[in-house]
Amino acid sequence: MGVTMRKITVDKLEPGMILAKPITGPTGMVMLAQGTELNEKWIERVRDMEIAIVSIEGSPVQAIPEEEALAELEARFALVNDKPFMGLIKKAVREHTKGLYK
Amino acid sequence: MDPKILRHKVENISTLPTIPGVLKRLSTILEKPRVTIVEISSFISNDPALTTKVLKMVNSAIYGFPGRIASVSHATMLLGLNVIKGLLLGVSVFDLMQKTMSGLYEHSLATAIASRVIAQKKNLKEPEEVSVAGLLHDIGKVVLILEFAAEYEQAMTEAARRNISIYEAEKKQFNATHADVGGWLAEKWRFPANLIEVIACHHQPTTAKSAPLETAIVHLADLLTRARGFGFAGEKLVPEVHPVAFELLGLSEQDILEVLQETENNMATAEDIS
Repeated sequence: MGVTMRKITVDKLEPGMILAKPITGPTGMVMLAQGTELNEKWIERVRDMEIAIVSIEGSPVQAIPEEEALAELEARFALVNDKPFMGLIKKAVREHTKGLYK
Repeated sequence: MDPKILRHKVENISTLPTIPGVLKRLSTILEKPRVTIVEISSFISNDPALTTKVLKMVNSAIYGFPGRIASVSHATMLLGLNVIKGLLLGVSVFDLMQKTMSGLYEHSLATAIASRVIAQKKNLKEPEEVSVAGLLHDIGKVVLILEFAAEYEQAMTEAARRNISIYEAEKKQFNATHADVGGWLAEKWRFPANLIEVIACHHQPTTAKSAPLETAIVHLADLLTRARGFGFAGEKLVPEVHPVAFELLGLSEQDILEVLQETENNMATAEDIS
């Protein structure tokens, strides 16, 4: 399974965060590689570049709490629960949704 | 409404007063019988905002290797005329999608990504073409809403009130659906037969004759996107999967989980495309 990532604005960068995508300069040249663990020095350099948003590893913050997301999921499947293969599909979507909160 | 009249209106999209200029201009280019890849490429390159949108889309949703493609000319060479035409249409109607049905853009984007991921899992030769079909599968909704705003709103209200799909509600309201309208448009814009079929048949995947696998992919991608709750496509309910199409794809629960995960990751970077 792929690595989850989230995008944050550069002012929220903290040491220890890991780049989920490389940081590139205006010409597309890679300045910091994917997988780099950020320290104070790197963060300072990134803030000096004209970059607004950086992708880091880790689950994105979800807009609604987990219970609410799972309840909405149940409601969306309300009419198709007993249809062929829908149980399998719902199980996968449910597991995926739970994974967003880990 | 008589479907023949509806079709006639849709096919003369350039003359409809409610259709915005951007779509009319694009329609004129797309319907040209012998438009070349160079013409399309320079049309995009001459517009910096359009260039940015196309490249973001190529690198996140359609092609899936972030940052790999840095120029429009590279993208056109790699992806070919039909994919680039579809992309151009897709990014150009994004604003319209947001204006006509809030959430339709996010739904279309997620469907494009999920379609590409499933196509790659099934080892299809041209996953980018399936992705473009996913991107454009609901384009009929945009045109229906633009031209028949009041009637479409009635269909949406009806769908919500009676717990039926927007597809069923459209049938009652127009005697045709967004899938029909999308198919007519794709034909008018000279998209390849497979793409036309996927758009026209994505709700009834077993009616597809030349591209049953591609149609099944977009059918499932559309459904998974709704199940996950990406965007909004006209109603809050997940439709039932067509069992024959699902069996044709032969995906396990683990496969579906992986498709969702990869779609999630790509959505995180694709969302700022508009």
